[in-house]
Amino acid sequence: MSRVPTYNLYMGCSVPANYPNYETSMLKVAEALGMELEYMEGVACCGSPNLRAIDYFGWLVVNARTLAIAEQNGHDIVTPCNGCFGSLKDVHHFLKHNIEHREKVNKELKKMNLEFKGTITPRHFIEALYTDIGIEEIKKKVTNPLDGVGIAIHYGCHLLRPADVTEMKPDVFDHLVEATGAKVIEYPLWKQCCGATVLPVNEPLAIRLARDKIKSMKESGAEYTTVCCPACGNQLDLQQLGLKESYGEVYNLPVLLYPQILALAMGMSEEDVGLEMNRVSADSILEHLSG
Amino acid sequence: MAETEQPAGPPETLVDPIDMSSLDRNFRDEIKSMPNGDELSACFACTTCTAACPIANQWNYKPHQLIRMIILGMRDEVLSSKEIWECLTCFQCQERCPQKVRVTDIFFDTKNLAAEEGKIPENIIGLGRALLEDGQLYTVTADWEREDMDLEPEVPGLSTDAIKEILKDTRTGRIAGGDE
Amino acid sequence: MNSSVLIIGAGVAGMTAAVELADSGIKTILIDREYTIGGNAIDLYKAFPTDDCFYCFEGNRWRSGIRKCFYRSAMTDQPNIDLKIGANVVEIGGKPGSFEVTLNIKPKFVDPNKCTMCGLCTEHSSAFRLLSPQCQPQAVIFDSSLTDEGAKKAEEECPTKAINLSAESTIEKVSVSDIVIATGFHEMKPVNVDEYGYGTHPNIITQLELAQLIDPIGKTGGVLKRPSDGKEVKNVLMVQCVGSRDENYYPFCSKICCVFALKHANILALEHDGISVGVVYMDMRTYDRHEHYYRKAREAGVDFIRGRITNVKPNEGGTLDIVVYDSLLDKYLKHSVDLFVLSSALEPSKDSDSLISSLGLNNASGYVAPKEGRNVGEVVVSEHVYACGAALGPAEVPESVTQARAVASKILQSRK
Repeated sequence: MSRVPTYNLYMGCSVPANYPNYETSMLKVAEALGMELEYMEGVACCGSPNLRAIDYFGWLVVNARTLAIAEQNGHDIVTPCNGCFGSLKDVHHFLKHNIEHREKVNKELKKMNLEFKGTITPRHFIEALYTDIGIEEIKKKVTNPLDGVGIAIHYGCHLLRPADVTEMKPDVFDHLVEATGAKVIEYPLWKQCCGATVLPVNEPLAIRLARDKIKSMKESGAEYTTVCCPACGNQLDLQQLGLKESYGEVYNLPVLLYPQILALAMGMSEEDVGLEMNRVSADSILEHLSG
Repeated sequence: MAETEQPAGPPETLVDPIDMSSLDRNFRDEIKSMPNGDELSACFACTTCTAACPIANQWNYKPHQLIRMIILGMRDEVLSSKEIWECLTCFQCQERCPQKVRVTDIFFDTKNLAAEEGKIPENIIGLGRALLEDGQLYTVTADWEREDMDLEPEVPGLSTDAIKEILKDTRTGRIAGGDE
Repeated sequence: MNSSVLIIGAGVAGMTAAVELADSGIKTILIDREYTIGGNAIDLYKAFPTDDCFYCFEGNRWRSGIRKCFYRSAMTDQPNIDLKIGANVVEIGGKPGSFEVTLNIKPKFVDPNKCTMCGLCTEHSSAFRLLSPQCQPQAVIFDSSLTDEGAKKAEEECPTKAINLSAESTIEKVSVSDIVIATGFHEMKPVNVDEYGYGTHPNIITQLELAQLIDPIGKTGGVLKRPSDGKEVKNVLMVQCVGSRDENYYPFCSKICCVFALKHANILALEHDGISVGVVYMDMRTYDRHEHYYRKAREAGVDFIRGRITNVKPNEGGTLDIVVYDSLLDKYLKHSVDLFVLSSALEPSKDSDSLISSLGLNNASGYVAPKEGRNVGEVVVSEHVYACGAALGPAEVPESVTQARAVASKILQSRK
């Protein structure tokens, strides 16, 4: 007896605009695994941590509204972006524990005929894959596993921390990558930030952080890296092209969005996952697929 | 306090201490009353936050020093600092703090206070403006790319009205709305 | 009234309480869950404040047969002490003043009354071990999880027939009027504090593990060698407050680790050739007269870094690169070391919380706490129930001994 899990899909603004390949891979993987992702109605951006920095209350209301809309049909929210995940999780956690702010926020939401009760949970797409589908089921659908090629995981700060809010452990991502047949490459800077949040404030610093991560991954023997966030993806993929200019360094470390890897391992094509859109060319991953 | 018409010369002694009575002793309580600021006083300056921070080596004021400055009441120095805006929000400090001081969250609070006083990097105001005008930080322009990927050219369900309405009336509207 | 007193735990505090009570004519049943008694103290080479293990010796020179360790002589010479090794409490019934305690006694694979410590069995199988020539009871111990063919051979060839591999555990019931909890402490193994990497590298160890390495009667005769490859150690970094004063683990200060870390630092800097030692700390808590350890350490050239660890990276070849933030200099420093020693939190003994709850006692972070209205460190914790030593919280040896004597005094008063 199978129950098709249904989720409210919250896309955020970056994936649809900058990484449609991530979006399409995710949808295709979800369909193949029997997850129903329903685009939410009436939502837009989460504001990112930078909105939280300048306007805490505005950020609370915007995200509480998204959560309240999801509560109406009772399904958990699933999002492919660490920034959105972090924002929604943080607001959800804060408002559940802070009555004073919850009342203030609900006063605003009432004007829109909405109320935040905290009855649904905002989740990251990869955690829903791990918890609701499970590694065993995923492995069954992996018909073209990778050949043990080394992939370094960049988890992203807002996926894992603060742990009391996100309730996420790095193993989740590790097991998901291993399920595709790849080997997880450990590297010293695995916990370190990619620098995305500070890009508007101090670009050279952000570029330096991106470079340090890629260098650490490469030196530990990774042939690819994978992320589950468009901002992290942007830092490691797009910024990598500029490292020749800033540092005189060329790494050629392709960056794959996790659902792309899973989809390919499940037998989908490079067109299905929009592989050509990956800025540092990732076509070589195809050679590592069996079958 | 001496009242004199003479031009200000060097201070009395070379020591030139910070006059504690000139500090804002309420700043500590102000932060403690803000979201997630309650454990601020628990800080015993072990410097684990600074040890954990990937970028503090570049800062004039390290994370543990900023927390100390808040506790002592150096409001202007903290709110005018570039450091709080360079915080990566990676939460390493907060995660490792042995006294459960929510360091990153407290820095978010200081940024809110700084923004209220107009002490905010230009690009961040720009982000606020983007949210007010477009309701998003990124807008889909290459919709043909989406179609190539078997997606709807416009994101289903997308509606930017509500977020623009909300932020118009909060601090974002005040600092980034209107002519700048 | 001549009923017995049950003392749970045969470490410093438990043994002292047993001896003091027994010398006053009271029958004591002293139990310990290990096969060898002594608790944490048997791993130490030198104990502070006397920098030897003579603290209890000086006041006991009058004992017949005593050459060094008064515990050793008392355990065998004092007939009022009924020592049960490998024993732990299963259930406590009855009522205060007449407890009925059920004990589970582990199988007596080696009979301490017959074993002569000839060592023949240890040559046949590594499941037999002699912990130290000074262990009490004076016998070899057998670890059934390591049993092999050689063990059977050892059993057959034991000259005094002291070995019985088919021994089984037994249940014993004792009736006692008073219970003394002397369960001591356990040094936390900080596997979860992942920034230190404990458990990921053989050269990352705790302070008690270091004590065993520098013990002159230990495996290397006290010569400090790198656990990873046996090479000599030239550089050591220690870090304090691993899991202590930490709301994520134990919020309390483990009290004695600053002192014993410096005791170790001084041993390494002064008694071993050319070992360079650094200590990373938040606060240096060498309270009371122990301040002299701190001064001596500075004179010995130990580096003191007020700060915390940024990261630990192992190198090929066994050394570790440790980056530490020095808050005094306001700079990040890199140390390349052979050994990284963690002053880990001193947590309550395993299963002490079940003892505490079955006796209805108060609990402070897992240690026995006094009842309402009583002072901290009070040894009378309930009616006919006492606690002494580190069962009350991390304690130094003199403190444990003093508390044990206080327990003896209270029990004697109650029987007047």
